[in-house]
Amino acid sequence: MMNAADRTRLRHAFEELLYHEAWLLDNDKLEEWLELFTDTIRYWAPVRGNMESGQEDLSRPHLLAHFDDDKTSLTLRVKRLRTGAAHAEEPRSRIRHFVSNVQILETDGPDRVKVGSNFQVFRSRWEGTEHLFVGCREDWWRRIDNTWKNEERFILLDHNVLENMTVFF
Amino acid sequence: MTDWSHLVDLEKCTVSPRVFVDEEVYRDEQERVFGRCWLYLAHESQLPDPGDFVTHYMGEESVLVCRTATGKIRVFLNSCRHRGARICRLDIGNAKTFTCPYHGWTYDNQGRLVGVPQFKEAYYEELNREDWGLIEVPRVESFRGLIFACFDENAQSLDAYLGDMKWYLDLIFNKTEGGMVVMPGLHRWNLGGNWKLAAEQFNGDNYHTGAAHESMLKIGLGPANGQFLGDQPWVRDFEAKLDNGHGWINFKIDMAGGVPAPLAHHMERMQAAARQRLTPAQSELVGCVHVGNVFPNFSILTFLGFLTIRVWHPRGPHNMEVYSWGMIEHEAPPEVVEIARKMQILTFSPSGIFEQDDGEMWGNSVKAMRGLHRRNFPLNYQMGAGHGRTDPDKPGLIHPPSTEIGIFGVYEQWQALMGGA
Repeated sequence: MMNAADRTRLRHAFEELLYHEAWLLDNDKLEEWLELFTDTIRYWAPVRGNMESGQEDLSRPHLLAHFDDDKTSLTLRVKRLRTGAAHAEEPRSRIRHFVSNVQILETDGPDRVKVGSNFQVFRSRWEGTEHLFVGCREDWWRRIDNTWKNEERFILLDHNVLENMTVFF
Repeated sequence: MTDWSHLVDLEKCTVSPRVFVDEEVYRDEQERVFGRCWLYLAHESQLPDPGDFVTHYMGEESVLVCRTATGKIRVFLNSCRHRGARICRLDIGNAKTFTCPYHGWTYDNQGRLVGVPQFKEAYYEELNREDWGLIEVPRVESFRGLIFACFDENAQSLDAYLGDMKWYLDLIFNKTEGGMVVMPGLHRWNLGGNWKLAAEQFNGDNYHTGAAHESMLKIGLGPANGQFLGDQPWVRDFEAKLDNGHGWINFKIDMAGGVPAPLAHHMERMQAAARQRLTPAQSELVGCVHVGNVFPNFSILTFLGFLTIRVWHPRGPHNMEVYSWGMIEHEAPPEVVEIARKMQILTFSPSGIFEQDDGEMWGNSVKAMRGLHRRNFPLNYQMGAGHGRTDPDKPGLIHPPSTEIGIFGVYEQWQALMGGA
């Protein structure tokens, strides 16, 4: 068990890391952003729905998702944006990430931590086309050579009907 | 009734922008297209048991699709007869009855009004419950598990409506004993753009791939030969214009990155199964890329072993709401389902690296066509006009990609429905 002071220190460290990640995304430093993930990353955002209370089961086999990526496919998405021909992001949207409610949810030894956070992502496109994406993330981070790397990202979007999804969370 | 037939010029193969941006045209379309045509609702694998239901839309009408105790599928407007409230607010489930959340009127899954609060005290038992059942959509028929419904009691059968499209749908839906099944979950998203722009693209637009999906070619994820055309024109690489506004694109490509081994192996097995069930001419085409649209707004796309089916719901002339499902052969092992599912998410979903760019185009078109001056200048659908051929081996009017023969068929059908008669 971690004491309260250690826990606060750890939470503070991850707040800084998550703010840095948001800064990378908002400033189009996507190649650096990719480096935050291990080569075994699962980047997963299952679909939501209107189900009876308590019946929404995100662990159902083969449930559709908005993202279910590994490092290879995430890297492809970034490469595509760099071609100059990814029309859904040409010219680039104006994007801003807001991160809050950072919590240490679980630890697994000193080098593995599950961190929860909420996000709002604002996207402005063309003239007045504006969208807000809201949700939370649960990440498993692992300390490798003194650097925290994300090895599992679960993204829960609070939307049933989405928009064209050209942003990362 | 306003006659809108002048908006499509059959001689010149042109279409007025008003077909895509005009509010009055849109309103009449709800009645004359969506009120008369067979509209896709659900797949039978989503409703296997009595009491199973899904909610969906037919055009802008909220509907409830129920499997009753006898196994029959019935479709009702999802709206209470008392104050019109939506009686079912879930996407999918199982229920014997549906109780309106507003005043508590209760209906069974055959649409009968079976419960009225204070029936004695407030209605003095004078309400004739038999007259106030759910409004039923009169025609419901299926083809290979695909359930369609139609508001027009006098419409031709679904079988006749699909016509030659059935021959092509069989390449997917009848190639194995178990047929296709729907994966859980649904992609729903809003897009700018008129619904017909999406429908026509799936009907027969191979021409857009080089420009709209240029980014895929640049990262080496496109076909090995650098174009989405194939190398057997007329035979395996073709588009088919079909009756009633339906259309089909067929081509075979070798993907630069290849297909993962378990999926490639599975596809070979499915092709072998198809040879037992389909004609030789059909079997030759199984495993190709297939893209098609059943008029008005039901599209399918199978690519690299996955299948997505979707409905482009009209939401005003300038917007649509997409409902898209993932499907796979009943026989596919879990490992293959996962590969196909992930491939679909990466390519054809709200975040799909193909789909995103299509989604950008349709909104972009209506945005630029809305002005009153632009509306006076027609859009060009002349590519390949007059150069289609019939083929003894396959139905429809055939032409290799690229052509707009099939796409213009969407507007010929639309025009036939949108006249004033």
